[in-house]
Amino acid sequence: MLSLNTLIAASLGYAVLLFAIAFWAERRAQAGRIGWLRSPFVYTLSISVYCTGWTFYGAVGSAARNGFEFVTIYLGPTLVFIGWWWLLRKLLRIGRAQRITSIADLISSRYGKSTTLAVLVTLLAVIGSTPYIALQLQSITLSFSVFESGGNANLTAFWVAAGLAVFTILFGTRNVDANERHHGVVTAIAIEAVVKLVALLSVGVFVVWGIASGPAEIFAKAPPDMLRGDSIFSARWVSLTMLSAMAIITLPRMFQVIVVENSDEKHLATASWAFPGYLLLMSLFVLPIAIAGNALMPEGSNPDLYVLSLPLSQGQENLALFAFLGGFSSATSMVIIAAIALSTMVSNHIIMPLWLRFAPERPETSGDVRTILLRSRRLSIAGILLLGYLYFRLTGGSGALASIGLIAFAGMAQIIPSLLGGLFWRGATRTGALFGLLSGFILWAYTLFLPSFEGGFILSQAVIDGGPFGLSFLTPNALFGLTGYDPLVHSLFWSMTLNITLFILGSLLSTPHPLERIQASQFVDVFRLDKSTGSYLVSRSATSEDLFTLAQRILGADPAQRLFLEMAQQQGKAQGLPDATDKLVQMLERELAGSVGAASAHAMVSQVAGGGTVSVDELMKIADETAQIMEYSQQLENQSHRLELAMQELRGANAQLTEMGAQKDAFLSQVSHELRTPMTSIRSFSEILRDSDNLDLPDAKRFLGIIQDESVRLTRLLDEILDLSHLESGRGQLLLEPVALQDAIEKSLNATGALLKEAGVTVESALPEGHVMVTANFDRLAQVFINLISNTVKYGRGKSPKLTIGLTLSESMAIITMADNGPGIAAADRKKVFEKFTRLSEASLAGSAGLGLPISREIMRNLQGDLTLKPSRQGAVFEVSIPLA
Amino acid sequence: MNNADLASDATRKRKLREGALLLPIFGAFLLISPLITVFTGATTLFGLPLIFVYIFGVWLGLVLIARAMARRLDKG
Repeated sequence: MLSLNTLIAASLGYAVLLFAIAFWAERRAQAGRIGWLRSPFVYTLSISVYCTGWTFYGAVGSAARNGFEFVTIYLGPTLVFIGWWWLLRKLLRIGRAQRITSIADLISSRYGKSTTLAVLVTLLAVIGSTPYIALQLQSITLSFSVFESGGNANLTAFWVAAGLAVFTILFGTRNVDANERHHGVVTAIAIEAVVKLVALLSVGVFVVWGIASGPAEIFAKAPPDMLRGDSIFSARWVSLTMLSAMAIITLPRMFQVIVVENSDEKHLATASWAFPGYLLLMSLFVLPIAIAGNALMPEGSNPDLYVLSLPLSQGQENLALFAFLGGFSSATSMVIIAAIALSTMVSNHIIMPLWLRFAPERPETSGDVRTILLRSRRLSIAGILLLGYLYFRLTGGSGALASIGLIAFAGMAQIIPSLLGGLFWRGATRTGALFGLLSGFILWAYTLFLPSFEGGFILSQAVIDGGPFGLSFLTPNALFGLTGYDPLVHSLFWSMTLNITLFILGSLLSTPHPLERIQASQFVDVFRLDKSTGSYLVSRSATSEDLFTLAQRILGADPAQRLFLEMAQQQGKAQGLPDATDKLVQMLERELAGSVGAASAHAMVSQVAGGGTVSVDELMKIADETAQIMEYSQQLENQSHRLELAMQELRGANAQLTEMGAQKDAFLSQVSHELRTPMTSIRSFSEILRDSDNLDLPDAKRFLGIIQDESVRLTRLLDEILDLSHLESGRGQLLLEPVALQDAIEKSLNATGALLKEAGVTVESALPEGHVMVTANFDRLAQVFINLISNTVKYGRGKSPKLTIGLTLSESMAIITMADNGPGIAAADRKKVFEKFTRLSEASLAGSAGLGLPISREIMRNLQGDLTLKPSRQGAVFEVSIPLA
Repeated sequence: MNNADLASDATRKRKLREGALLLPIFGAFLLISPLITVFTGATTLFGLPLIFVYIFGVWLGLVLIARAMARRLDKG
């Protein structure tokens, strides 16, 4: 039989080895030779702090009692880790970007750096973890008792707790490292992880191939109902898996190793499969050991200790010692990390805020904040271990401790809605988180935690059995009559339901304050944000000297100097302190957050910077600046739009000018052409008259007649051109007078009477009785009508030519239509007819230069009316409009 | 690398990320759904109870798939 002294010597020797390893790793890290200390496998092994003494010994016990159920505790974390890309990666990125130091810090930081939330989560973590630490102490004392019954369990527990406190203080609070990483501790934990895995595997191999001849023989001894379906898949199976999945993220020690101690995001990729693999190996032999223990150990032995008692009963003392060290490793690593995590939370979220409030001086002038911080952390560690020890003393040996592991899981799982909501839902608010967390925790305490004391604490046995004041629907284990469920499932159902409901309702019904909104987007959009930009956190009244003093107090003189030098260099300064820019203030706040937590860092820097938290005014100003910029750019846009429009107009005008120039050229060439024809005949006939001596009189007279006709035509053409240019320039003011419309039409019909008769055109006029008086110039108006009528004679003759004259009156205009029944004018030509010198067909008569319609239109426009060509099915329809008198 | 390659590379990465989301859901379906009861009969496989082989087999499978995916996700 191993003596107690041997055990103590082995434990002490092992502890000394761990101290040495931690010390060596710390030295190495300080010298900058980190190397494999930061390898992804060390990271993975450190996560195995999940497997505590409770799982090392308790898993076998659980398997002996409940069969396969123990595996759920490992399946949940497996599912979370293989889905690392979606949750853990985001958690890590946020943890790095925001310098998160603990789970309480994360929740507080997300919801506007709320101190209330930080304190709440810290208290809950302490309440949930203290029994858990006590459980580890119990597992160590129990393991001692296997070797030497009758030892003083309390004394053992005390010395173990004291030793752990020393180790944790020594390696957990060496410095207030801004990164909050503990290389020594992590390395020691990794070694412990290997020890406990190899220990459990060795016991397993010994049981399966040493005691039995192989797995088949072991499983043949299993009780037939051990692996039955209904004992495996049930509400409890699902609940436990979900619970362990939630616990792997929210348990303070898990958050510490996964997020805070992580030095490289890439390590997570390895851990995503290596950690589930580790868990698989840890649980592979649990069932065979449990079955063998049940079969071989005498009636009444504790299944929780099969790992030790089984090898011992077979005379394998060295193996038992190794297993003992494995269990020792599991328990101590949990306690160390939990103590570090909890002390960080307690000192950052409870002690520092209190000190900040009650310290007589401002932080930059008072004593060394750094010393205070370290001292508060050391005290917290000692306090937490003392609490665990006291808890163990008070409840030690009772069955209450056995189930405390899962109860602690359920308590910390209450953080999940606020955590996931904060990570993925921008609308989650502080109020919602506060209500959800509080309600979840109260229900958890009432339905699970307090009843676990079996009447020994706050709730009496009578209340647990029958509800308070005899109100049976408030019975803790059967709330509102929900009976028939496992207490854990029951509690989880009610607490989570209320937690999630109040979290969502509270978030929807409350308005987040500005800082919360900023933090929400920093968390939810962490992958979209540029790493270098931060949020607007404090106002700008800080001087860099004050900030430097503050940094020195907290980070220590050298790191502060390094940090400020770096900033100064970034700002392009060769020496001296950097300017107190927003960026410096933000960066400093983040660095400090790594030491004292976001809420405290914010409070400190704000005190120095003198601005307090971001006020609404401040945000309004920021918003104003943004609005101004937006307005300015809007103006620019408008201006450029206007410029664009002006450009377009200019381009249009230019095109018009070019066109007009071309028209002018065309007009000139047309005019010369039109003038040339009569001139040619005049010249040639006058030459004949001059050169021919024997020209008889009739011929000469005929020639002179032609010359006469041509010069008349020439004169008329010139008159028309003059007339047109006169009208177009608007210089020729027409004398306006009241004109009887019928008279003007009558006159023009009379004037063209001979022409019409000759062409055989019948005129049909449907004019109303009486005089329609218009404002016009009588002669000019008649000229337009004559022109239109003669146009009809020239171009618009059908088989039995007909001219229809109509008159309609609108409110202020008289509209005269002149329609013929000729071939009409093609749609494409409709615009052309009003252009100068346009003759649509070869049927033009001599004497017309094609200026009739343009002149007529100019006249009508000068008379404030118009002349247009109406589209029609047959013939050409001209419409003359003129204002009524 | 031409555009078609870039596009197919992007598609491959997207599918990989979606696969990373689906893996835990798939794992949950295999491990915490009534599907398990199918494997709880008295049958043995290589002398091991079927449920033992099933749970540890699925577990090992998930670890191996996660390993393969983690390597690709890490690169991409």
